[in-house]
Amino acid sequence: VVEGLALLDLGVSPYSGAVFHETPLIIYLFHFLIEYAELVFMITDVLTAVALYLAIQDFNKAVFKKQKLLIELDKYAPDVAELIQTPMEMHYIPLKVALFYLLNPYTVMSCVAKSTCAINNSVIAFFILATIKGSAFLSAVFLALATYQSLYPLTLFAPALLYLLQRQFIPIKLRSRSFWLYTLQYASLYLCSLVVIICLSFFLLNSWDFIPSVYGFILSVPDLTPNIGLFWYFFAEMFQHFSLFFVCVFQINVFFYTIPLAIKLKEHPVFFMFVQMAIISIFKSYPTVGDVALYMAFLPVWSHLYRFLRNIFILSCVLIFCSFLFPVLWHLWIYAGSANSNFYYAITLTFNIGQILLVSDYFYAFLRREYYLTHGLHLTRQDGTEAMLVLK
Amino acid sequence: FQDQAEQFFRSGHTNNWAVLVCTSRFWFNYRHVANTLSVYRSVKRLGIPDSHIVLMLADDMACNPRNPKPATVFSHKNMELNVYGDDVEVDYRSYEVTVENFLRVLTGRIPPSTPRSKRLLSDDRSNILIYMTGHGGNGFLKFQDSEEITNVELADAFEQMWQKRRYNELLFIIDTCQGASMYERFYSPNIMALASSQVGEDSLSHQPDLGIGVHLMDRYTFYVLEFLEEIHPASQTNMNDLFQVCPKSLCVSTPGHRTDLFQRDPQNVLITDFFGSVRKVEITTETISLDRDLAGFESKFPEDEFATEPLKYAEQLPVAQIIHQKPKQKDWHPPGGFILGLWALIIMVFFKTYGIKHMKHVF
Repeated sequence: VVEGLALLDLGVSPYSGAVFHETPLIIYLFHFLIEYAELVFMITDVLTAVALYLAIQDFNKAVFKKQKLLIELDKYAPDVAELIQTPMEMHYIPLKVALFYLLNPYTVMSCVAKSTCAINNSVIAFFILATIKGSAFLSAVFLALATYQSLYPLTLFAPALLYLLQRQFIPIKLRSRSFWLYTLQYASLYLCSLVVIICLSFFLLNSWDFIPSVYGFILSVPDLTPNIGLFWYFFAEMFQHFSLFFVCVFQINVFFYTIPLAIKLKEHPVFFMFVQMAIISIFKSYPTVGDVALYMAFLPVWSHLYRFLRNIFILSCVLIFCSFLFPVLWHLWIYAGSANSNFYYAITLTFNIGQILLVSDYFYAFLRREYYLTHGLHLTRQDGTEAMLVLK
Repeated sequence: FQDQAEQFFRSGHTNNWAVLVCTSRFWFNYRHVANTLSVYRSVKRLGIPDSHIVLMLADDMACNPRNPKPATVFSHKNMELNVYGDDVEVDYRSYEVTVENFLRVLTGRIPPSTPRSKRLLSDDRSNILIYMTGHGGNGFLKFQDSEEITNVELADAFEQMWQKRRYNELLFIIDTCQGASMYERFYSPNIMALASSQVGEDSLSHQPDLGIGVHLMDRYTFYVLEFLEEIHPASQTNMNDLFQVCPKSLCVSTPGHRTDLFQRDPQNVLITDFFGSVRKVEITTETISLDRDLAGFESKFPEDEFATEPLKYAEQLPVAQIIHQKPKQKDWHPPGGFILGLWALIIMVFFKTYGIKHMKHVF
């Protein structure tokens, strides 16, 4: 950002160098705030935490209401009393969420590093707040801002839409007219705000060259500086004529999981949002630990799934060890010269596998709890012996 | 005597240096070390002392745990010729053989703590032989399995040497796959280059020894060694004979050479001009008066067009200005239309969400 601003002071487009890949609104923001950069990042983190706190508070109320409704409608099996969430245990969850975000070492690291990921996180947090409060307009605006910042929150459109439909009590049937009407409304709000923001950014610098620099950069991954993601190593060792194909494959991988997850999790859009955010931060082209911190902040919301999690010990060990090994192997590779990129990439892979394991474990636990709620805790097969739920 | 005295200055060089580089490590690259050591042996035999040879070997074959005959490096099968000997002096060994060190040796930009044996202390009357071997490709040579030197870097290093008057004439020999690509980019005068294969061809190894288990030498250097074994300090063999060494029938690859940058005719260049350190010593009891302008000694270096006065460092940098710098005024400001549009949008969103009733509080 400093480089971009310096180039601008020299009268050159900040996107003419290969370093600056942020959007024009960031230029505008930091033009005035660059001297107080530390304060800005601290304030954004606090804002994110506050937004998450308010969002989860509202979400808990909604969950509790829905649970009460389902109990009264007798949708639950008789022996699942211990699985029902009570307000007592849910009382401190918003505070825990805010604390998880603020005290997460990843958040602290990205604040100290003054990474613009903090701004991304706060926009996404406000988007979640707006969605859970039910305001389609604000949620579309914030989603447009988040997408404008980095392309991937586009996939959060689906869970937000599902949540808003649920809130409006519109059934999600493909033939239902009200469903399509609402979807169109929301989509048009989102697209209009996106277009307005992009046009506004055009007026900042009077040129469109921010589009290839920001979005072309995210999509075509030209810069292969090692990070905690999966892209750099593949593309560093790939032949030139395959790189387009593999860029497409890798990018599709991020967007691909939205539709199956939407079909499976259409009753539980906030969980869907959590899984989607995790998928974005694992498979995105330039992930940072700030993205990881954002979805990890949501883990207390599903602390009631603890009894169904199977791999929690292994994956927490994997994540902690990998976090410690990252700087060690970086030092060994770059400074000591006695390791090479394979070592660092191995840790990257392990870290991402740990994250994927975390997400899939929570997914399994969530679905299992849902199944138990409707079918009872003691599952029996047809011949009377005890059965086990397996995620196929 | 006058003629002979003129002859004395004809070749133009007064001292010889050799930089012999083997860039590969690991036991199966035994042949590269053997290549370099055979050239070292010939060069030393023909008179260049160890103080004028910079020998860079990327790995230790003689004392390698896999060497069944420790303290030897053979170049012929059946262990006929041990090129390691008793008096090999390796200047850069093992991990010290890097692209950076090689370029520093060539250009002379060496940290002050480097010992003399590791420096190329050549001057503008030195003929330098540079021999490189290892694994290479089109335009590059691999060092130590972790980095490469490109032909452009090498050409620029030689140009630096020329501009710093670090050589009189330079003979560059390279024995790698596609070796001719390494001398394609040279642009400094007085360089002659030989390579073991053309672009697109591989240089092949000569013969394996079943007792040692690896290939002992590369073909090109094997035949060059055979050729050099015939040379003695007084021989008058010239470069054209060296160009004929290892024809395609023996070498399988086509050796190449480049003489367009060289000012003398290769016919007149003796092998010992580069491979040996031949001192012309004539003992006479008569006095010879030498003519001021000797034929054949022309000024090879262009005169500087305009003489610049030596610049002192402190004067070039505006230190006072830098120390007392005021913080820069920002030159760029966002356009007014943008600010207006942005804040109008923000206000519109605010009022849309929270209702018009707040407007009267604002105004």
